[in-house]
Amino acid sequence: MQSRRGFLGTAVGAGLIPLSLPSLARAADKPSEIRIDWATYNPVSMVLKQNGLLEKEFGKDGIGVRWVQSLGSNKALEFLNASSIDFGSTAGSAALLGRINGNPIKSVYVYSRPEWTALVTRKDTSISKIEDLKGKRVAVTRGTDPHIFLVRALQSVGLSEKDIVPVLLQHPDGKIALIRGDVDAWAGLDPMMAAAQIEDGARLFYRNKAANTYGILNASEDFLKKYPDLTKRVLGVYEDARKYCLGHYDDEKRVFMDVTKLPEAVVDIQLKERTELTFNRIGPEQRDTILQAGLALQQAGVIQASVDVKKTLDDLVDDRFVTAA
Amino acid sequence: MTIVAEGTTGEGSAATEQAAGTSWARLSRPALGLLLPVTLAVAWEIIVRMGFASGRLVPPPSVVFATFADLARSGDLQRDTLVTLGRVAAGFGFGVAAATILGAAAGYSPLIRRLLDPTLQALRAIPSIAWVPLFILWLGIFEASKVTLIAAGVFFPIYLGLMGAIQSVDRKLVEVGRAFRLSDIEMVYRILLPAVLPAYVISLRSGLGVGWMFVVAAEFMGASEGLGYLLIDGQQLGKPAEIVAAIVAFAIVGKASDWLIALAATPFLRWEDVVRQD
Repeated sequence: MQSRRGFLGTAVGAGLIPLSLPSLARAADKPSEIRIDWATYNPVSMVLKQNGLLEKEFGKDGIGVRWVQSLGSNKALEFLNASSIDFGSTAGSAALLGRINGNPIKSVYVYSRPEWTALVTRKDTSISKIEDLKGKRVAVTRGTDPHIFLVRALQSVGLSEKDIVPVLLQHPDGKIALIRGDVDAWAGLDPMMAAAQIEDGARLFYRNKAANTYGILNASEDFLKKYPDLTKRVLGVYEDARKYCLGHYDDEKRVFMDVTKLPEAVVDIQLKERTELTFNRIGPEQRDTILQAGLALQQAGVIQASVDVKKTLDDLVDDRFVTAA
Repeated sequence: MTIVAEGTTGEGSAATEQAAGTSWARLSRPALGLLLPVTLAVAWEIIVRMGFASGRLVPPPSVVFATFADLARSGDLQRDTLVTLGRVAAGFGFGVAAATILGAAAGYSPLIRRLLDPTLQALRAIPSIAWVPLFILWLGIFEASKVTLIAAGVFFPIYLGLMGAIQSVDRKLVEVGRAFRLSDIEMVYRILLPAVLPAYVISLRSGLGVGWMFVVAAEFMGASEGLGYLLIDGQQLGKPAEIVAAIVAFAIVGKASDWLIALAATPFLRWEDVVRQD
């Protein structure tokens, strides 16, 4: 009986926490910790984490830093949605899709301009162009840039997701399924995509750099509203790390290799050839890229016709927190 | 069944009263079971409508229902439900077949039991989800590995239930059979089978429950259709209403299949002379 009452108490308590938490947190002028994600598709975040830059910045205020790994934009958005993290790394278009689906986030910063996705197949398949995907199994993670890239690629040749057999797998599992032969193609993501190329001879049969929608850092609206100054400082530290990476490629690469244990050739492809770190503010160019992706998704039926994509994008982007570069 | 006590008041009125009582009971019993979930759902709907909670992460019933209707209209819901149902049916079929043969053999023959049971018990101790990575390596991520995983999950409760039931058949019943000089076949048909059936049906039902549990795990391995696919789609795109819709579909189909087994088994369990409280 005791244990049952304990369980009931916990259940009731867990149900009430979401209601009472905001008011509790509002009473404090600073959070006890800042929760932020790192990801292998966001090299700057790895340098931040490995070098303890945020810990140094906020340690003096007694604010801790908790790191959470995101395996894809969808995971970062999921964590943001559940208020498990305050800052999450996604693709620009993925953040837009999340916002349309009711995720209370704001896009605040550009951490990279990558060509991180392409359509990938094994070396021994007969697939050589988008049209060949018809009726084929394609591994994809919904709600991420590779998914959006795939939808747009199919759309460009008059196909849709209905013409292929999408197999929902998180990025790393998608690569394994492709190499194993469970699927015929994969909407890939670096560094797994670069690894598949180098280690397994996988082919990138469709690339389109312009359809990659920037690496975007998002913050939960709640955090922004409560701690605008802390947000500015987080982005300031991000800026330091980004600039450091620009000047110290070998250090950046070493950190990346330490964490991912990937061979140098793979890391060079991702970091040197396919990632630009020269952007920081979500400007007109970035907005336009994300808007184009959103409009294409709407045409493809992934976003409902009733949604005002342009307005949602305006609601999503908030570039006031980036201090002048 | 309190009505029975009033049987003495007069035959005619008792009969009508009993009929009225039963139909009232027939209606009120499920209604009583619905009271709690319906109250909670209505309360949540009201809380969200009045703006006390956003309902973003826990969508109110109306939103879930709308999602449900949308999915049904596009045909996705029917397709996914059928696919999942097919997987469970296949896995359950294989699991039941294997468990019935091995369970019966191990229950009937001490030799087979000594030979087989220790190994199976050892395998049973492994949480079946732990097999997932191996099944993916051996069988890939599609139907073969999904059905195998479900079958593996279904196997153990049924095997254990059937073997236990056979071993615990009442000695007195068997002796009565012997006294009537029943042949071996008659013995199985008239004594053993009826004696084993109640426990077997229970183990089938718990096996089916495990089957529904495992189909979700199986569909999490990567799927292109099925209710588990719907769940993951909702998760990856951040649509809680779709996740809840998939869960509701699971609940409905799972409960319906359990009810079907119970219904199919009723004629075979008529002989049981037990206290019924429902």
